[in-house]
Amino acid sequence: MSEQPVLHVDNVSKRFGSLVAVRDVSLTVGKGELRAVIGPNGAGKTTFFNLISGFFPPSAGKIIFDDRDVTRLSAQQRVKLGMGRTFQITEIFPELSVFENVRVATEVANGYGLRPWLSKTESADLRRRIDEVIAMTGLSARADRLVGELAHGDQRAAEIAMALALRPHLLLLDEPTAGMGDQETYEITQLIRKLHKDSNLTIVLIEHDMRVVFHLADRITVLDQGKLLAQGTPQEIAANEAVQAAYLGKAA
Amino acid sequence: MTTLLLFNITNGLIIGAFYVLMALGLSLILNLSNVINFAHGGFLVIGGYIAWTLSPYLGFWGSLIVAPFLTAIIGLIIERFMIRRLYGRDPLYSLLLTFGFAFIIEDGTRYIWGAQGKPVSVPAILAQPLSYDFFFLTGYRVFMVAVVAIAVVVLFVLLRYTRAGVRIRAGTLDLETVAALGVNVRALRSLNFAVGIYLAGLSGVLASGQLGLESTMGTGLLMPSFIAIIVGGVGSLTGTLLGGLLIGVASGITTVFLPQASEAVMYVIMALVLLIRPRGLLGEEGMMT
Amino acid sequence: MRLAVVAGMWILLALAPFWMPFLGGYTALGTRVLVLALAAMSVNFLLGFTGVLSFGHAAWFGLGAYGCGLSLKFLAFSTPLGLLMGTLLGGVAGALLGALMVHRRGVYFAMVTIAFGQVFYYIAFQWSSLTGGDDGLRGFARQPIELGFLRFDILHDDRAFYYFVLICFAIIVSIMGFILRSPFGHTLIAIRENERRARFLGIPIERHIWIAFTLSCFFMAFAGSLYALVNNFADPRGLHYSLSGDFVIMAVMGGMRSFWGPLLGAVLFEVLQDYISSVTVNWMSFIGMLVVVVVLFFPRGILGLVRQPRAA
Repeated sequence: MSEQPVLHVDNVSKRFGSLVAVRDVSLTVGKGELRAVIGPNGAGKTTFFNLISGFFPPSAGKIIFDDRDVTRLSAQQRVKLGMGRTFQITEIFPELSVFENVRVATEVANGYGLRPWLSKTESADLRRRIDEVIAMTGLSARADRLVGELAHGDQRAAEIAMALALRPHLLLLDEPTAGMGDQETYEITQLIRKLHKDSNLTIVLIEHDMRVVFHLADRITVLDQGKLLAQGTPQEIAANEAVQAAYLGKAA
Repeated sequence: MTTLLLFNITNGLIIGAFYVLMALGLSLILNLSNVINFAHGGFLVIGGYIAWTLSPYLGFWGSLIVAPFLTAIIGLIIERFMIRRLYGRDPLYSLLLTFGFAFIIEDGTRYIWGAQGKPVSVPAILAQPLSYDFFFLTGYRVFMVAVVAIAVVVLFVLLRYTRAGVRIRAGTLDLETVAALGVNVRALRSLNFAVGIYLAGLSGVLASGQLGLESTMGTGLLMPSFIAIIVGGVGSLTGTLLGGLLIGVASGITTVFLPQASEAVMYVIMALVLLIRPRGLLGEEGMMT
Repeated sequence: MRLAVVAGMWILLALAPFWMPFLGGYTALGTRVLVLALAAMSVNFLLGFTGVLSFGHAAWFGLGAYGCGLSLKFLAFSTPLGLLMGTLLGGVAGALLGALMVHRRGVYFAMVTIAFGQVFYYIAFQWSSLTGGDDGLRGFARQPIELGFLRFDILHDDRAFYYFVLICFAIIVSIMGFILRSPFGHTLIAIRENERRARFLGIPIERHIWIAFTLSCFFMAFAGSLYALVNNFADPRGLHYSLSGDFVIMAVMGGMRSFWGPLLGAVLFEVLQDYISSVTVNWMSFIGMLVVVVVLFFPRGILGLVRQPRAA
């Protein structure tokens, strides 16, 4: 991981009126790294993600993606540059099948968004790619089911499939295991691990489930009340007293 | 020339005041409940007809006070039992519902009160002009503006200083947070709707004194109300107030120079606003979704 | 199975002039309903498939009608030219104004579309020297179609005109279906399903909505042009938002999420309106009540009851 970083967030802050949700946070993620962002509730994690993915612009600071300043770019533009994202509350197309969900993502990724028709070769390639992505996320058996009717875990997987179809350089996962039982958590964790190891994807994820974090993460970033509290390997973070205090303090 | 201009500007202000009364009610309902009340004109007509029905018993002043309340109650019933069921859904459905109600009300008033227009008499003291220099300022028109002014002031005071009013304003900006704070959002919406309809009913009583009564008169006032809201800026009641006065006055001034264009000028202003400042004069960014 | 139903539908449409009289109908009624169905389907292209609520869409319909009528009256005695002029007038106006409106959503978009629609209504009303004002535009008629040595007298032959309209209907509807099945069409459906997710797939939302809007305006204007030919007449009511409301109701009644829903809705709505207005003078109340009932109890429309929600 000594090449240029995929993501470099430089001292970003976000203010909503007088409320400071994120304050001077910096972070650097290298190629192929899996970074977990953790912190107590209200730490500003999702706001931080929103800044990275372009949901809204930062009040201060810069965001550099693949050596390119994307701070002023819209969410759509950042997606086009290779940022994929999933949401805390799964955002999918409920009344379309898994196949159709992934299809539109793949079509857009291939630049077919405005096309009235596809050639035979293009259609075939498209089909192959869609099946590939669906297989990667283990949903092949359910490809023709409506996503809105799937179990929660499968919906999450479908959302990840859509993000994958975009061929992202960076995958942002916002609480992928939220609302899941043990079995589903295990399956999603395995999926993420597979994507990380087999496809060498750079992943940043927000998580509350510590088992998942310690199982997957190369490095961990801890946020508390919008500020950067600590950064390091899982072992360093586990031993960090300030981190423990932040979590215990919130629980008390 | 100046008298003519003065006449028309004053006329414009009077018309504008009227648009304001209608538009404010529409705006209240739009802002909090995300509903375009197509039936707003219908409630205006109901208000006028109820006042007409009551005036033999309560007199002009009595029905002026009572009719809007009764109209608001009818509105409340419709909101509680029908519109409320549609809040979670696509805004299309509440739109269609009020659209359907507009038909029902227009035909219903025709059925109940007959297809002929009804003449409305106002108390003698109001019918006279205030002075012979300003012959165009009949007492009634001044009275109308006065009533509108009082209503607007009362509305703004209620919104600013009562608990319900503050909640309504907060709900317009962020309904989720208001709900999370434990406020009964459904009751709030009902109250808000009732206030909006009250204003429509009041408009109807006032209008009837000036224009007489007729089943279709409400629809003609719906479009200027829309324009007032768009021009003033969605989400802002003060904007609606300004918007209504602006188009009223513009309309009045245009009558002097180009009478046929007096209605068109409203649309021209709207188009200009949408081109130059799409969120309206006092509208806020991000209020458009 | 679905193919059989659609095929059956086309057969019914093709044979309409023959079976309609048995049900108390007549060919010209069928022609009119077909045109209105096309309008309802054009609105639904935007409403049911892109998820955009345009409540002022009659404006483009009316513009198409006036464009066609004016062309036949002042330009040339040519039906195809009339259709072209009407379609261009409504379509181009829609494209230009659409650019102004496209950044809004939901009810605010609906409000602006209504207001702009009323501008055209007002113009048609006031500019009576050109448009005939409230009395409407008259003095033109659909011209027979000459194709080499073949002559289709659509002016005097009701049946010939019906088939002419049916062919036009088939062409436009095929284009619509084609677009909805294309990658571009998929992005529209995505926008309808979940705009935020569509944005985060990299779809330029406003641009796609504008294109969909423009396309639906062209379809609508074409329908309006045909409508002018139905009665050789165009009037301001064709521009009024209440007509827009009618089209939306047709789409909702038949089933917004289904391609053929609006056709069914148009047939039903017209038949009901015809029947009710012949039975009572208070037909407006009944239409209003019908709308209320549909909205409260059958929001998915008839076809929504019959089958599972599916994409096009």
